[in-house]
Amino acid sequence: MKFGIGLLAALLMVGCSKGGDTAGTTGGAAPGGEKPLVVFSQANSQDPWRKVFDAETKAAADKHKDHIDFDMQDAGGDAAKQNNIVDTFLVRNPKVLLISPTETSVQSSIEKAFDAGVHVILLDRAIDSEKFTALIGGDNVDIGRQAGEYVAKRLNGKGTVLMIQGIAQATPTKDRRSGFMEVMAKNPGIKVIEGDDCGYQRQKARSYMETFLQKGEKIDCVYAHNDEMAIGARLAWDAANPSGGTAPVFVGIDACQQEVVDLIKAGKLDATFKYPTPGAAGVELAMKLIGGEKPDSKKIVLPTEIVTKDTADAYLTANPNLAK
Amino acid sequence: MAVSAASYRNIWVVWLQRYQGLIGLGLLLFLAFVLAPGTFYKPTNLANILNQLAVPGIMAVGMTFVILTGGIDLSVGSLLGLLNCIVATWLVSGTGIAPTILYALFIGTFIGALLGYIVSVTRLQPFIVTLAAMVSLRGLAYVYTNNGTVSGLGSKLDFLVKPIFGIPVSAWIMLVVTAVAAVVLWGTVFGRNVYALGGNEEAARYAGLKLTWIRVGAYAANGLCVALAALVFTARNTNGDPSAGTAYELDAISAVVVGGISLLGGTGGVLGTFVGALFIVCLNVLLILKGVNTYVGMGWKGLIILIAVYLQNIGRR
Repeated sequence: MKFGIGLLAALLMVGCSKGGDTAGTTGGAAPGGEKPLVVFSQANSQDPWRKVFDAETKAAADKHKDHIDFDMQDAGGDAAKQNNIVDTFLVRNPKVLLISPTETSVQSSIEKAFDAGVHVILLDRAIDSEKFTALIGGDNVDIGRQAGEYVAKRLNGKGTVLMIQGIAQATPTKDRRSGFMEVMAKNPGIKVIEGDDCGYQRQKARSYMETFLQKGEKIDCVYAHNDEMAIGARLAWDAANPSGGTAPVFVGIDACQQEVVDLIKAGKLDATFKYPTPGAAGVELAMKLIGGEKPDSKKIVLPTEIVTKDTADAYLTANPNLAK
Repeated sequence: MAVSAASYRNIWVVWLQRYQGLIGLGLLLFLAFVLAPGTFYKPTNLANILNQLAVPGIMAVGMTFVILTGGIDLSVGSLLGLLNCIVATWLVSGTGIAPTILYALFIGTFIGALLGYIVSVTRLQPFIVTLAAMVSLRGLAYVYTNNGTVSGLGSKLDFLVKPIFGIPVSAWIMLVVTAVAAVVLWGTVFGRNVYALGGNEEAARYAGLKLTWIRVGAYAANGLCVALAALVFTARNTNGDPSAGTAYELDAISAVVVGGISLLGGTGGVLGTFVGALFIVCLNVLLILKGVNTYVGMGWKGLIILIAVYLQNIGRR
């Protein structure tokens, strides 16, 4: 058994040194004369959007690897774990903390980092405190508005829209809804059916759409609060109309998956709006802060971008890190 | 290797079984010295480790009582989540700090005692009873908070994480809980009865011990520890979250097992648990410091638990 423990220790060492590669030599070397450390604490890396977010952050950090050390950890959606990760990151004296908080309760460790003189860049989600350097994220109200304008144009101001909704109490859902409804209010010829909360899940949206189609109500457009639900709704429509026929206009949001762009190219979906991932902008801002510059503003809004059949190929070239 | 282990069982295996936690911790601290001497042994990291140790450490001490009786409690993570929500809700609604703390301790102890009673009376396996409780208590936490989180707690419980003599109050609580548990287990009739029940239930029954009350006592002690851990957890996270403490039962059980306590009951001590909890927290911290992916870390933890349980079971079946 002594052998067993020895083996374990050896394996552990291999595992650690392998993981340590990305962190460079920060672990061991004496302070001073080192590259500044930038750490990134991700809320969770499970959904496709956050996978792209991770990949783009890492790609941006790799570009600067001669000037900074970069390390990231995923909290698996657990706020207590994220607190522990941030506290442990602080032991390594980072210059910049990039963080996408799981929820507001991570605030205590974020404030601690800020008080310790670390530049704190919040990505995508805000906290109930002013103790951060900058917040970078997309604008969901604007995305909803642009989606509304696209739909109004496609329908020539007349028709019926089914809105398939995300998690009811989540801020992105409220914003993507209110931006869209704002435009719809100006288009009285368009009737909006407020669909169920399908939790941003493909499967739920599919089941909901199947049931909805049973009613036989005519719809001209499906607006889903994310691409996964748009795909689910389209699958249900295809299953209910095996011979084809004129499909409604399908519009989604996020544009972070290869699959969605492929479906747009194939004419199955009509448009999606990019919900920009803030990681690369976060790393660029981190470089500025390390260089002694100040952020241009405390809240940095990244623009959205529409993807249709015409722009699909150009979008793929410009965004090589889409989720597979 | 199995053959050689069997023939040297008397000396080496017994020695290993007794000190496996310390040996593992020693190896880990040595590894940390090799891999991250500049960061792991910094004073700020010591405070960091103590901060992170409090919740799993206190829960592991409670779990020790249950496992020593030969039982197991899978519901502690859910109970922590429920108490976290209760404490946050009470404090946000303006209840005083002292009554809130007392109420949380009472509820924790009561639910623990109830579980012990159910296990005794129904004679169902503790695994099943506490699995059911794990599901129910988690559901209750969501119902209690209406599926949302409870925020606006402010700094009401901050005193629990402020340092005294350089060590956070939460870590002091853990040290005191460990010391009290050690005294109870080694020096009181109740403690000796816990060992007797776990060592050989039939013998304990024939000896005329009141098994129901021993079990209720052990599970109640566990519930009390979970309540203390929940208070520290709430102080650290400053909100109530119905999903809080998910999978914490696994960390508590891991700490106990790594600390050299047999899942079959009756052997091991709470100081082993302390070492086991320290091992797991140090491992977590080292993995983060070295930039190892969290899911790779989970793989390592599983492997270490497997080895620890294997060691404990040699020669006992």
